[in-house]
Amino acid sequence: MAFTRINNKMVSAQVLPGQRILSQRGSMLGYTGEVSFQPNLMGGQGGVMSMIGRRVANEDTPLMTVEGHGTVMFGHGGHHVHVVDLVGDTLYVEADRLLAFEGSLQQSTMFMGQQGGLMGVVRGQVTGQGLFTTKLTGHGAVAVMAHGGVIELPIFPGQPVHVDPQAYVAHRGEVTNKLSSALGWRDMVGRGSGEAFQLELSGQGTVYVQASEVKL
Amino acid sequence: MAQFRLQGSKVLAVDLAGDTVKARNGSMVAYTGQMGFKKLSGGGDGLRGMVTRRLTGERMEVMEVKGQGTCYFADKATEINLVRLNGETLFVESDNLLCTEASLRTGTSFTGLNGMASGNGLFTTKVEGQGWAAVTSHGPAVILRVSQGLPLRVDPGAYIAHTGNLHRALKSGAGWSTLIGEGGGEAMQVEFTGEGLVYVQPSERTTLGGEV
Amino acid sequence: MSYPPQNPYGQQPYGQQPYGQQPPPHPPQGPPPGYSQQQYEQSHQATQAGMPLPPQAPPYQAGPAGQFGAPVFQPPGGEGPKVWDAGTLPDNDNVNPYCFSVDLNGAYYLQKGKMIAYYGEMRFSGVGRGALDQLLERNFNSPLHASDWVVAEGRGKLLLADRAYDLNSYDLEDGNLTVRSGNLLAFEPTLQLKQSIIPGFLTLIGTGKFVAASNGPVHFVEPPIRVDPQALVGWADCPAPCHHYDHGYLHGVIGGLRHLTGIGGASGEEHQFEFIGAGQVLMQSSETLMADRSVGVIGAEPGIPGSGVPHQQQHGGGSVPGLGNLGDLGRRFGL
Repeated sequence: MAFTRINNKMVSAQVLPGQRILSQRGSMLGYTGEVSFQPNLMGGQGGVMSMIGRRVANEDTPLMTVEGHGTVMFGHGGHHVHVVDLVGDTLYVEADRLLAFEGSLQQSTMFMGQQGGLMGVVRGQVTGQGLFTTKLTGHGAVAVMAHGGVIELPIFPGQPVHVDPQAYVAHRGEVTNKLSSALGWRDMVGRGSGEAFQLELSGQGTVYVQASEVKL
Repeated sequence: MAQFRLQGSKVLAVDLAGDTVKARNGSMVAYTGQMGFKKLSGGGDGLRGMVTRRLTGERMEVMEVKGQGTCYFADKATEINLVRLNGETLFVESDNLLCTEASLRTGTSFTGLNGMASGNGLFTTKVEGQGWAAVTSHGPAVILRVSQGLPLRVDPGAYIAHTGNLHRALKSGAGWSTLIGEGGGEAMQVEFTGEGLVYVQPSERTTLGGEV
Repeated sequence: MSYPPQNPYGQQPYGQQPYGQQPPPHPPQGPPPGYSQQQYEQSHQATQAGMPLPPQAPPYQAGPAGQFGAPVFQPPGGEGPKVWDAGTLPDNDNVNPYCFSVDLNGAYYLQKGKMIAYYGEMRFSGVGRGALDQLLERNFNSPLHASDWVVAEGRGKLLLADRAYDLNSYDLEDGNLTVRSGNLLAFEPTLQLKQSIIPGFLTLIGTGKFVAASNGPVHFVEPPIRVDPQALVGWADCPAPCHHYDHGYLHGVIGGLRHLTGIGGASGEEHQFEFIGAGQVLMQSSETLMADRSVGVIGAEPGIPGSGVPHQQQHGGGSVPGLGNLGDLGRRFGL
């Protein structure tokens, strides 16, 4: 457990020599000990292409590397913080919602369009969340932000979960996602109800949903 | 029968078995199973509902959700208060009504000066019947009892709902006797007398009645 | 048996680690995991020297931070919402984490517009008028913007709230606590309110209770600590609040390049407030500032920093001179 919950909007992390933590720039609230904060040009890993990808996707959430010896407190914007522990599996999370994560995790930027083809592209545009989602794999903890806290909804085979794209925070597990449009679905029943587009997540895993339709 | 339950304090989960609930437009955050969403006229039914929307500019648009499964509702990370009605009437600021069971009738009631002071339209939504209603509040609502001889005064911006046999009157804050700039800041208050419960939120909407 | 003695709590799922299993190497501010949601102290008294010393609380507890958890007032399990009335509302205590009930019997100062409801007979008057001049002289030893403050007088139960921010009450016993102006909500007339030397902060001195709001629950830490300026709510007793600039990122070739071109940016954490010495630092878990309250203009006198400097006065009503600028500076560095 790299992150210790202080309260529902704050976590603290221990930084030890040789272990780094990546966090969203400007999200440090306070620290003790000798800790340095270095801007992270490449956004962790993935090299220049990743960076370009991020720029193109307008999803340039700048990260910083936290190193040294001490304790650092993180929080941002009064948003609720939720810690997810990864044990060799993968978490997909909107880059804007990423507060901090352990350096032991493999980070890459995923092109959401790979899943769901054209609809994936549409989804990115509809949700305004960009086409790129941060993918974190390995062993370690991730602190994710959400407006109003998150609820975890399990996804079971044959029981897909539909999520309002604005309320989607992250998901993990063997999950495929596609944008289901209420348009043309049951005679445009959903039209005007404010629920025109939904993210459909199916497979086996967990989806994290926030208690708000407000995007970060 | 739709089952209302809270998932945390800010998400309402409604279990549906082919039945229907009415919810604020766009407030669905997730669902499992099969759900259909249909827009309703909003602001209550019939002519008065339309008048409400015209007059107040409130976009209290309502959708009907029907299906099998669990539907999750939330509204801008506000707290959700479940109110069980057994024939009583619930008066609620339209902005704060998130979801009602289909068995409940919703309409509008003229709230006079209260509405004016709170800048929240002249009409309040009236919910009657038997069933569950979900009311949102910015921060957990505080429920205050009003009884004979114990009137309550609330800030119009903090008022969200009330039940019971209550009389409302707009009062100017006592002691508000000087220039606005030096005033007491609590210029407008709503006084409740009678018997009933008043729901207030630990927050204040921006109001027309001055910087209250 | 080859097993080491089993911890009795060993079976508990994660998030419930017992004390000692993972000794936090940062004792002052390391709350036991999972503590935060459950604890709700009656009235969040701090236990440090100079800060209130409630009779029953031993000074210098191992983890004073542990007392100030995210206040969850009622366990969600308790079905049926609580209904309050004039008799059952708490006396000078929180109704829930976001609402504070004052048992008014006399006078109380509050920031304008923070009353949400009341029972009883009371009147609200602007500070600085006629009959109240005496009160004003006694309590406001600062060129406060009087119109921001209201005196509630009378008898009854008064409910205070501020945009659903977390409210905490603090008992001072012959102590002092400095708080960001925008966070101070109400205080007893037994306390004196003064303007801090640090711009944008107010100092309360004396004995009595005050109520402050914070964006997220307040977290208490002991110096030495460096705090992001925007996360600072206030401090008690710390003798040396100062600025700390981390220039490391500007050093070297890369750093110089960054400095010149802005490419690569900064980490956004180059500037902090540093606290050393004995005391308590109050942090809010957010970097979103609450709207600052004007603390009034400081008289232009030699030797008073920030006094009568024209550009600071431009900020006028809403923002705080000096501190806002520093915040901007930090942000500018960050961009």
